[in-house]
Amino acid sequence: MLKTFYVAWREFTSTIWTKGFIIGVLMTPLIMLVVAGAIALTKNLKGPRLIGSIAVIDESGRVAQGIKTRFSPEFLKSEKEQLVKSVDQTAKEGADKIGLSEDQAAMASGIAKDAINNALSKADLTIEELPPTIDLAAAKAALAAIDIHEKNRPEGSPPPRVAIAVVPAGAVTPSAEGVYTKFELFTAQKLDFEIQGRIENKIAAAIVDARITSDDRIQRSGLTPEDIRALVKEPDANTATLTKEGEKKNAGAAQFLLPMAFMLLLLMSVMTGGQYLLTSTVEEKSSRVMEVLLSAVSPAQLMIGKIVGQMCVGLVILTLYSGVAVASLIVFSFMHVLDPILLVYLFIFFFIAFFIIASMMAAVGSAVSEMREAQTMMTPIMVIIMLPWLLWMPISRAPNSLFSTIMSFVPGINPFVMMIRLTGSEPTPTWQIPVSILVGLISVVICAWGASKIFRIGVLMYGKPPNVRTLIKWIRMA
Amino acid sequence: MPDAIVTRRLTKTFGPKLAVNSLDLNIPTGSICGVIGPNGAGKTTTIRMIMSIIFPDSGELSVLGKASAVESKDRIGYLPEERGLYKKMKVFSFLTYLAKLKGIDSPAASTKVANWLARVGLGDVARKKCEELSKGMQQKVQFIAAVIHEPDLLILDEVFSGLDPVNRLLIRELIDEQHRDGRTILFSTHAMYEAEQLCDRILMIHRGQKVLDATMPEIYARFDPRTMLVQPIHPDAADSLRAIDGVIAVDPVDIDSFELKLRDGTDPIDAVRRVAMAIPARRIELKRTSLEDVFIDLVQATGDQTIKREDLRTNTTLEQPVHA
Repeated sequence: MLKTFYVAWREFTSTIWTKGFIIGVLMTPLIMLVVAGAIALTKNLKGPRLIGSIAVIDESGRVAQGIKTRFSPEFLKSEKEQLVKSVDQTAKEGADKIGLSEDQAAMASGIAKDAINNALSKADLTIEELPPTIDLAAAKAALAAIDIHEKNRPEGSPPPRVAIAVVPAGAVTPSAEGVYTKFELFTAQKLDFEIQGRIENKIAAAIVDARITSDDRIQRSGLTPEDIRALVKEPDANTATLTKEGEKKNAGAAQFLLPMAFMLLLLMSVMTGGQYLLTSTVEEKSSRVMEVLLSAVSPAQLMIGKIVGQMCVGLVILTLYSGVAVASLIVFSFMHVLDPILLVYLFIFFFIAFFIIASMMAAVGSAVSEMREAQTMMTPIMVIIMLPWLLWMPISRAPNSLFSTIMSFVPGINPFVMMIRLTGSEPTPTWQIPVSILVGLISVVICAWGASKIFRIGVLMYGKPPNVRTLIKWIRMA
Repeated sequence: MPDAIVTRRLTKTFGPKLAVNSLDLNIPTGSICGVIGPNGAGKTTTIRMIMSIIFPDSGELSVLGKASAVESKDRIGYLPEERGLYKKMKVFSFLTYLAKLKGIDSPAASTKVANWLARVGLGDVARKKCEELSKGMQQKVQFIAAVIHEPDLLILDEVFSGLDPVNRLLIRELIDEQHRDGRTILFSTHAMYEAEQLCDRILMIHRGQKVLDATMPEIYARFDPRTMLVQPIHPDAADSLRAIDGVIAVDPVDIDSFELKLRDGTDPIDAVRRVAMAIPARRIELKRTSLEDVFIDLVQATGDQTIKREDLRTNTTLEQPVHA
């Protein structure tokens, strides 16, 4: 017992205290956090404030005023208020949909408002109207030579022209076939794409206003452009799933993301530990340290020790990653989407999945003499790892279908299937959980038994890697 | 005192190959026994069965009074033929790890490892990684790993292979010391010379079967020396030597010495006396039968004429005898 512990401890520490593990496994979440933080920071950085003018050549004679209005301080202010209001509304609806509390909704809309403020305060643009008779080519040439950044310009010089918009008459009045022409927008170099997008949108909106106001039919009906816009806006759906327990708000993407996250977590922790187990077993064989170890411990003690050691490695990963996930859920008061019992199941199914994969890894590792020989024998393990990826979509779509139920009892993949189902949108029938766990435990016992047979013979075999028939012979032999 | 190792009709096959065939063994406690035989004779298989690393197809064995080595693993020190180290592990941690696996508690393990490393002159590499050590150093580390827990029985498989003469000598002294401390030692080698130097018992295996199991004095008594080395004071003594009763051949060796072959059944002691009376000699020596000769005689007596001296002398460059 003590010997098994020593083996496990060595296996655990020699895996954990390597650069590869610390950088690859422990640092990854940290690096991701830093990168995410950095992106958030740079996004909040205010760009250089832009002061400038837009020249409008209005060949239709109906749009320039509209554009001017849309760039006026009053309009900008009301636009901002409107936007904030609609963000509030969206946040409320969204919160309703996934069941957020008031606080969280307020937090979300606060974040959105900050973003709006940042975006809107970046530019201070005025409109100058140019007569259609102006020399466009010369104006364009002048625009090409302009440096719009204030710091690069002589002090006290007037705000630069940053864009020229040309609105042809055809943009407002359709041709005989009912086709509108496009408007043209020429911008100076280095104009922020966000500001450019805003300019485009405002001019387009002004053109649409002009179209509406100049249409006789609409004039007669007395509808304003605002009325028309409200009329043509497509409504959103308010979706709910009807279950026996009552109405369940449809969580949309979350319905797929939670099972995905749990499956990934399980796969990652199981595979990392399993992979390390394979590597260390092959290494012990190829460096011929195996028989030295066997002089002190029995093959069974060695194998169990190694599996337990790597299980601790997998547990570290699982605890770390799920801990980070739970912590961030708590920080954002999102914990209610996650039933704590799911974490208990996660760990139960981790043990089952890990022991199955680890037994196979130990068997493969002991049977081959070199890492590259192991690749050909990894097929059954690869199948177990790949199947959950293929099954994720169909199962999370219909967690209680016959197919999903059957898959929950297939040894090897059932821990993954159960994790997808348990975190899915429909409650899993209660009896299936213990039965699936039982199936898992039985397959663990069988796998460990077979692996220990293969391990005992394999660890001393060098030379040609055995085929499946030889492995079966080994299992039956001792 | 009961024998340290007893086997009865021990048999092991690998597929069609009979690796060990109905082997009976008695290794008395406190003896130092060499298992010799050419490559593939079944030495390692026998040792692995004694160690319960593989299991016999049939037959019984007892190790230190127990039915299996598993029950007395901590009392056995084993240096396998296939031996290695954890490449990335530090020498000190590797040895303390193995010591702990062999049932020594942590603080005692550190002290013992430090003492042993100092003894074999590896004190300054304790904090190095195993892969940084030379092959000879690695062998010494492996030897320490086998004896660190002061076992009652020491089993060393091909302990001298791959060692340079200096380290062979060192290991030989260490083995001898272990023997003097009262430990039973069983070691296999295909280098007969080392066995001759160290053992008080020899077990010869050929094709999975025991061909000889005897103490060294028994072997010397049983296999009479029939070769004599004579260095006459006068170099032209060949004819006088040839005339001596019992001498059937005289071959010159070196510049001034002769090798005399004695007729079967001739008492070597009488022959020495007769030579001494026949000529004035600087040296008269009865050559001891070498284990190699014994082995070849025994194998050929079984009707197997295919055995060659070369088979017993693999790695000749590395395994030339060294005189202390």
